[in-house]
Amino acid sequence: MALLSRKGTLFMLFLFSIFLLSASASNGSGEEEEEEFWEELLLKPLPDRKVLSHFHFQNEAPLSDSFARHHHLFPKSIAQLVKKFHIKAMELSFTQGRWNYERWGGFDPISSHNAKPPGVELWAVFDVPPHQVDASWKDLTHALSGLFCASINFLESSTTYSAPKWTFQSALGSLRYGTLPREAVCTENLTPWLKLLPCRDKAGLSALMDRPSIYKSFYHSQRLHLTQAKTGADPKNSRVVLEQTLTVVLQPNILTGGTNYVSEAKMQPSWSLSSIFGRKINVERGLVTQLENLQSSTATFAANGTNLDDFGRNVGFELSVNPDRVLKEVEKSSSILYEYPIKVHKDSEQFDLGITWKHPVIWSTPHAPLYASRFLMGSGNERGAIAICMKSTESTQGLVAANYVDQRCNFQVNVLQIVPWYIKVYYHTLQLFVDEKPQVLTDFVERMRVSPSEDKVSPGLMELVLKLPCEVKSAVLNIEFDKGFLHIDEYPPDANQGFDIPSAIISFPDFNAGLQFSDNSISKTPMLSKLQERSPVISYTEVLLVPLTTPDFSMPYNVITITCTVFALYFGSLLNALRRRVGEEERCLNDKGNTQLFQFLHPKTQVT
Amino acid sequence: MELDPKTMRTTKPGIKPVILTLIVPFSFILGFPLLWKSVEIYRSPLPFCGIEAFSSQLDSKPLHFRCQFQAMFLGFNFTASNDVAEAIINKMSLLNPNSSQCGNCGAYEVSVVIDSGTSCMRTENSKAQCPFKCGEEVAFFGGKLSDENVDELLRGCLGNVDGGGNVYSVVVVNGGDKEAEVRAVVGKYRHAWILGGVLEEKALSRVAEIFAKVFMNGRSEGDSIRAKFMPVGADGRIVLSFSLLNAEPRDWIYDWNFREIDEILLQPVIQSLQPIANITVESQVLYHTQKSSFSYWDEVLGSHISSTKDLPFFVDSNEWHLDTSVAAGGRSKVLQLLVYIPSAKECPLQLELPNGDLSNTNGFISRVIHLAFKFSLLNMWGGGVVWNPQSCIKDLESKDPPRHMISTQVFLSLMNCHCLVTRQLNEVSVFHRDSHNVWELDVLSQNHVCLNLYSLFGVSFLKFNSMQVQSLPRMIITDEIGKQVIVNAYWMIFWLETVVYLQVMISLEAAKFAQSNASAGIYDASAVSSRQARALAEDSFFHPSVMSISYYSYWHSVSIYAPYFLLVIKPVILPVLSEWKRYKQENMKFVAWKAKAKVT
Repeated sequence: MALLSRKGTLFMLFLFSIFLLSASASNGSGEEEEEEFWEELLLKPLPDRKVLSHFHFQNEAPLSDSFARHHHLFPKSIAQLVKKFHIKAMELSFTQGRWNYERWGGFDPISSHNAKPPGVELWAVFDVPPHQVDASWKDLTHALSGLFCASINFLESSTTYSAPKWTFQSALGSLRYGTLPREAVCTENLTPWLKLLPCRDKAGLSALMDRPSIYKSFYHSQRLHLTQAKTGADPKNSRVVLEQTLTVVLQPNILTGGTNYVSEAKMQPSWSLSSIFGRKINVERGLVTQLENLQSSTATFAANGTNLDDFGRNVGFELSVNPDRVLKEVEKSSSILYEYPIKVHKDSEQFDLGITWKHPVIWSTPHAPLYASRFLMGSGNERGAIAICMKSTESTQGLVAANYVDQRCNFQVNVLQIVPWYIKVYYHTLQLFVDEKPQVLTDFVERMRVSPSEDKVSPGLMELVLKLPCEVKSAVLNIEFDKGFLHIDEYPPDANQGFDIPSAIISFPDFNAGLQFSDNSISKTPMLSKLQERSPVISYTEVLLVPLTTPDFSMPYNVITITCTVFALYFGSLLNALRRRVGEEERCLNDKGNTQLFQFLHPKTQVT
Repeated sequence: MELDPKTMRTTKPGIKPVILTLIVPFSFILGFPLLWKSVEIYRSPLPFCGIEAFSSQLDSKPLHFRCQFQAMFLGFNFTASNDVAEAIINKMSLLNPNSSQCGNCGAYEVSVVIDSGTSCMRTENSKAQCPFKCGEEVAFFGGKLSDENVDELLRGCLGNVDGGGNVYSVVVVNGGDKEAEVRAVVGKYRHAWILGGVLEEKALSRVAEIFAKVFMNGRSEGDSIRAKFMPVGADGRIVLSFSLLNAEPRDWIYDWNFREIDEILLQPVIQSLQPIANITVESQVLYHTQKSSFSYWDEVLGSHISSTKDLPFFVDSNEWHLDTSVAAGGRSKVLQLLVYIPSAKECPLQLELPNGDLSNTNGFISRVIHLAFKFSLLNMWGGGVVWNPQSCIKDLESKDPPRHMISTQVFLSLMNCHCLVTRQLNEVSVFHRDSHNVWELDVLSQNHVCLNLYSLFGVSFLKFNSMQVQSLPRMIITDEIGKQVIVNAYWMIFWLETVVYLQVMISLEAAKFAQSNASAGIYDASAVSSRQARALAEDSFFHPSVMSISYYSYWHSVSIYAPYFLLVIKPVILPVLSEWKRYKQENMKFVAWKAKAKVT
């Protein structure tokens, strides 16, 4: 059998969805009001022998009079937050590690929505008059800080948050955005997040969340996304939708067995739920009324056009549980989705889906139109420059070319860069290099919004809307800055480590991250509709670490000590000088031979 | 004369070097106040004197409510109405000797109307007309109508509507027949009536008793309200948080329609208590809330028994997420009221009281749990009740666990337990009524006004806090806090004055108010004002900026300035000491020489 090494895309999803509960309460008019909850798990093998697990929990409650007062499933604390601070939309993410856009992809809904910058990222849209937005934001940060055991309250200071306008499309003026790149994320943040689920981690999919597995992962991001969805023309019919997702990239333990004629090193690791998490899903009777398993697998073989049935039969992998439904992704990568209704598996007490690779398969994940990275230039403690480098990716070049054959092809890139006030950016030094040649900014920049930083008051914000030609190879944005000085009180602990510049956000509004499945009649679970949702492709750059001039923190003490030493020396020698005359007197008394000298010095003194 | 230079000297030692060495430390000492002033911490000036003066003024002159009582005797032949009024006052003062306490009717007057059928007499201060316009009707229907109807009838006659002036009336109808049973009924509004064959002397005592015991004290015995726990938050808010805890949802799931329960059962009570406390209700259903204490199986009782001694373990704060911190922001108090559904393994579950008996309500109220939770984080407890499903047998056949709704009726029975808690809140209430009696609310409001302003919080709180601030001389008080305190103090004084003003108005123009509907709610207004005052008093010290107050301790400043003084102190003090020592030595030599010279 030929060894398969094909270049292409393999996109594979294992989706477990649990429709948990719907609690209904009828109001006076007889209208049914329901709170609903779903939980789903998506597993996706990544090209670099890792596995992406994506937990998705969705909670919905009608925005009625009793919202934030009487609840059956929706977490009361979040409902009260929404009501108290008039939150229209909000997203809070805790992330550890960095999403590898090159290897794990950047053109799918998971990477666009769930790849987040390290640390804490929070944005919120408030439904309050403009002058109250800042106050609401401050209160919200404190409330969330308490709720999630994190230092989100540091976002209260006006130096840490800003109000971008173009990057987040849902923003309608009253959005605030802030990040804490250095916030360490651990289990104390996960536990309160789990508390918001009706069964916490006692039942359902969250029971799989094995803390050691999660925290030794390469990347994990827990996210809380809150929106208000209108179901009709009447604003009273709107519902509050709370999405909680946990995205983890894990290295599965390699299951032994399988092929013996191909070296293990070239094989994708075979894994199962229990080998990833060390636990199995208990299909128990209980709150879990329906457990569906959706499995999808996608394959595009550009090279030799092997048809998908062949792929499923002959090539690749074997699944421990047979799929039930198959869905095809048509637009982007002609993917296939296999679906398993779990009702079939209800009798078996434990459900442990596994995948066994039969042959080595090499594939790559779809990339964002441009791969963005950011770095610092210059040396020394005085000045430097930030460069955002965007390189075109091969897979999307073809897509761009295909979409725009005749006309002159351009695509839009939005760049949001926020810098703390002590990085004093000179916006006039902004340079753009397209294909390594310096360009006039106005040729490519469609719109630009700059709010310069104000010392100790607000951070600097730069939003750019670029129009780049489709055939662009690389684009580099370069901007110079001076490093500022902080007051001694303003330095954080371990100031010598350097200061973080939050990730820049690069978004591509012309590209749709959503997947399109061939069969639209399928019953959509929240995650499936999330995957199909039209949304721009978004990627984050690295967090930069800028070393700033740090003072000698013992300096004030040294100054005091030196001053005091000088004082002590002065007074000591002064008094000594004054006292020395007495000593001389004594000496003269003792030294009778020197009477003359003594009389010369003390003419009035009589020596007997 | 022989001079030993080691022990004697002929001249007086010079004082100059001593003075010179002394000048330096002396200048340091002189400069010290300057330094001290320069390192002084900033304290915004607070109106300590004003607060103190105001509180002492209120202490010396406690707030009294002026109450007006009106007795109407129908079919009696008293000689002089004034004598009757005096007799009632005398009896009342005997029955209620504590009337000088704050919150009581410290100054009250009694007016009397005597309508004997043929003649009518009334005291000058009487508001009722003579002859009493519906006296005959009352006399006629008194025995025939139901109490509710008589109540409404009297309300119509006396025009005493909700909140409209506090004139309390007792109508005594002489039934004529001396043998007839005497019935005394206290109505829903501010009046009572006595029917039957009553002797004149007896009638006076009964009237005085109703005035003193019921209308003045709200039927409660002794020094009622002060000694007891009042779960009203500092900002006058209470959050009643109801939680339905399903221990094991794999066995059965219970749910409730709390919105309906709230609207039907709780809202009327909450409405009537509105002036005293701003009560909000919230509810949630929790799943997988196992208790963490163990119960044992009792063969005789046929149930699992859990002791109330184990309550701290029964309530598993780690697993039961009862948090309402956002809704009850600031200093609002939260009363957690729980309904616990045990798992099939532990069903039925009974609670055993510390004395060994089983709890009748199968629940615990806050008095029990308050002690249990004295040292725990969960300090605000209303109560909890264990509700056992009717059949404790788990349905093994069905794939999905059965879902049940807790009906309003079941909830009402559960509330028998919780009701005790609510009673703490309102002292005298009768919970099964759709609302509270007006006179009960009067007493409650009066007590709350007092409580808010004098005894526990309000002025004394502000005073206590200002004392505390004064006792911490090194606490930094920023201008922001200073302003907040001043503004709040003035607002508080404003509210207090509003209360006093309202009281004066009520007493002066009671008659006018009694007739006018516009006055409705003025009585509540004083309670509301007092609540505001207390909230403000506390606000000033619970302002977020006060929370992050920095305390620059004495030792902190010592450690900062120590290096300075330690280094300088040696060259400054040591010369003084050594110079002084030398001077004394030299002086001794001189004295010795002088003594020797004298001898020789």
